Amino acid sequence: MSEPANPVSPEGPGGTLDHLDEITCLLYAERQLDRARAQAVSAHAQDCAACRTLLKALERESRLLTRAMLEEDEPLPSRLAEFQERARKSHQWISGLIFGLAATGVYALYTNFVEPWQQRLEQAGFGGTSLLSLLVFQGAFWKGWQSVITLLEVLAMLTVAGFGLVIFRRRLRRGSALALVLAGLCAALVLPPPAGATEFRKAQTAEVKQEETIKGDIYLSGERVRVEGTVDGDVYVLGKDIDIDGHVTGDVIGGCQSMRIRGRVDGNLRSAGNTGIISGSVGKNVTWFGDSVTVDSAGKVAGTVSMFGGNLAIDGQVGRDILFFGHEVGVNGAVLGSIWERGDSLIIASTGQVGGRIQFKGEQQANVSPGAKLASPVEFTQRERRSEYSTGHYYVWRIIWTAAFILLGLVLFLLLPKFASESVAAGERVGAPIGLGVLVFFGVPIAAILACITVVGIPLGLLTLGLWFFAINCAELVVGTVVGNWIFGRTTDVWGQIGRMAAGFVIVRIVYTPIAPLHVIGALVGLGIWMWGIGAISLALYKRLQPKVTGSSMGVPVAATS
Amino acid sequence: MEPLRPGPMSVPGMTETTEAVARARAGDADAWGELYRDFAPAIFRFCRRALPTREDAEDATMEIFMKLRDKLSQYDETRSFSAWLYRVAANHCWDILRRRKIRQDKETEDVEDVPLEHPDPSQLDKLIEQKTSEEVRHALQKLGARARMALVLRYYSDMSYDEIADALGVRRAFVGVVLLRARHELRQALEGKSALAAGGTS
Repeated sequence: MSEPANPVSPEGPGGTLDHLDEITCLLYAERQLDRARAQAVSAHAQDCAACRTLLKALERESRLLTRAMLEEDEPLPSRLAEFQERARKSHQWISGLIFGLAATGVYALYTNFVEPWQQRLEQAGFGGTSLLSLLVFQGAFWKGWQSVITLLEVLAMLTVAGFGLVIFRRRLRRGSALALVLAGLCAALVLPPPAGATEFRKAQTAEVKQEETIKGDIYLSGERVRVEGTVDGDVYVLGKDIDIDGHVTGDVIGGCQSMRIRGRVDGNLRSAGNTGIISGSVGKNVTWFGDSVTVDSAGKVAGTVSMFGGNLAIDGQVGRDILFFGHEVGVNGAVLGSIWERGDSLIIASTGQVGGRIQFKGEQQANVSPGAKLASPVEFTQRERRSEYSTGHYYVWRIIWTAAFILLGLVLFLLLPKFASESVAAGERVGAPIGLGVLVFFGVPIAAILACITVVGIPLGLLTLGLWFFAINCAELVVGTVVGNWIFGRTTDVWGQIGRMAAGFVIVRIVYTPIAPLHVIGALVGLGIWMWGIGAISLALYKRLQPKVTGSSMGVPVAATS
Repeated sequence: MEPLRPGPMSVPGMTETTEAVARARAGDADAWGELYRDFAPAIFRFCRRALPTREDAEDATMEIFMKLRDKLSQYDETRSFSAWLYRVAANHCWDILRRRKIRQDKETEDVEDVPLEHPDPSQLDKLIEQKTSEEVRHALQKLGARARMALVLRYYSDMSYDEIADALGVRRAFVGVVLLRARHELRQALEGKSALAAGGTS
């Protein structure tokens, strides 16, 4: 060992004899010096009364410390004396509770939510693509917005898989299991689409010229994008103005400010953007996230139109249904299937015709012209924000979801006990996590969307967005655990933390439920909880990424001589 | 130096412990009970010395034994069970302290760089002579997390410098320094001064 100070100083320059420094005396007393140094110290101590006294004092101090620590000054607390028996009993009880909760949560998730939604979305033309076929047969996890249908299945599967991991974690090393899951997820995200060769074109005006024929998929990115030729595959497109005037045999998937389809798309059109105008034909379905979509008089969509946000005008023909969440639907043309709308208004002009049921939940009655041809009258439901909160159904669902969230929290605490504790500890500081939460809540989606703009950044952007969405779902759990800790006191025991999480989460839900219907206050409190939780998770993550402080920065004592 | 490693409260023979461990590994609940009864008092006392409050020590003792269920498969039977158990306990307590004290330690880390004052041997001897075990225990509670932990590992668990370095995550060469600083803090606390002023001035 290299001691940090001189073990024995020789005679100094002035001819006076220096004393032993304290660290050397301590190391000698603790038998930590090598033989030669120990002999030198021993020889010095024989001649030096002060150093001898210091050595004696240090040894006496060691004995005093040992005695003080080993003395049995307090009996074993009764809580500990009974612990063994209680632990056995409480485990049986907890196991029963977990099983019950798990069964309730999974059953509620699947039968009451996943299954009906899956059926509804399939009816709406999203197409019966299962997660398995997406992963195995198509080879890519993300293939346009149709993957949205699988999100609920994924969440349910993750919960079940989490339980599986917890159960088998004694056999599996936790790190390798997590690494496997993450690696699988990353691989699924980055796997290239299967069909043929993929071409990339990025320019101010990216185009497929009229005489061109592209075999396989193509990625187009630019301020202006034009497809005038033929693409025998899918078109992935990102730009400000997009014109599809040619023929695309596969899907058109993209993001844009405005998109005009004047040509022919044999597959689906899936896009997010401001304005979409369909004057040509779409062979399958249209899914649009954005402000406005118009299927003009010459336009034809053979499948279903699903739209989230803004206005939808159908002047041409839609072969199947309309699924709409947004402001207004106007029908001047023909909808051969049903209309399912949750929005503000529905206008059906005299030239309009609807072949199926019309279910409309909105603020005001649908405006239907007398000349309109409807297969059945409009089934209108008045949308009242408060009514949702005044029905028993709403509260039953709150309880079911509370159980499901507690289940998720349980899985997370068992899978990542350390990180969960760190997140909760970060959440207890309140101010810092909320501040960071504001930043992360708004900043991460923007960064993820920016990452998606560059085509190679799409997997990274989507992964980030997915993690952000997941963190939002965990935010209330973190806040619940913090509240639980405030009420019941902190504990480092995982089961104690889970108990506090469950109790705190229920308390947060009980307090928040009557506040939720209050328009602005409800929204603000909800947002505050999200930001607090997501900030705490981000803070814990940030701390994890910081380099650890080691002992190498510690000071070295300097021997004083007398 | 006298042997320091504390045994369990009612010291069972080495063979009995080994048998109990083997049975506990096989899932025998009674063997768990035996191990708990034999070692819980010593582990509780260890936690009581290392952690700031009695409640913390009680919680930590329970957690350590819960953890033991998962970790027992990692125990090497050729080595001392109690030494291994103390290592598990030390790691657990240090994790707790590190999580809680990380901010406080950051605020006081500059104290680590202050040179230590060389003690007056006769005054130190006098101070040690005057103090009782109870006063030392009381003073221990006033020390910083690392100082207290270092003293407990060395003088309660009788850990070697290598083991302490491993448990505290410091270089082996600095264990002596950590212990010396801890003693200085303790002396200051015994004299009724602020433990944080233990760095002193040269």
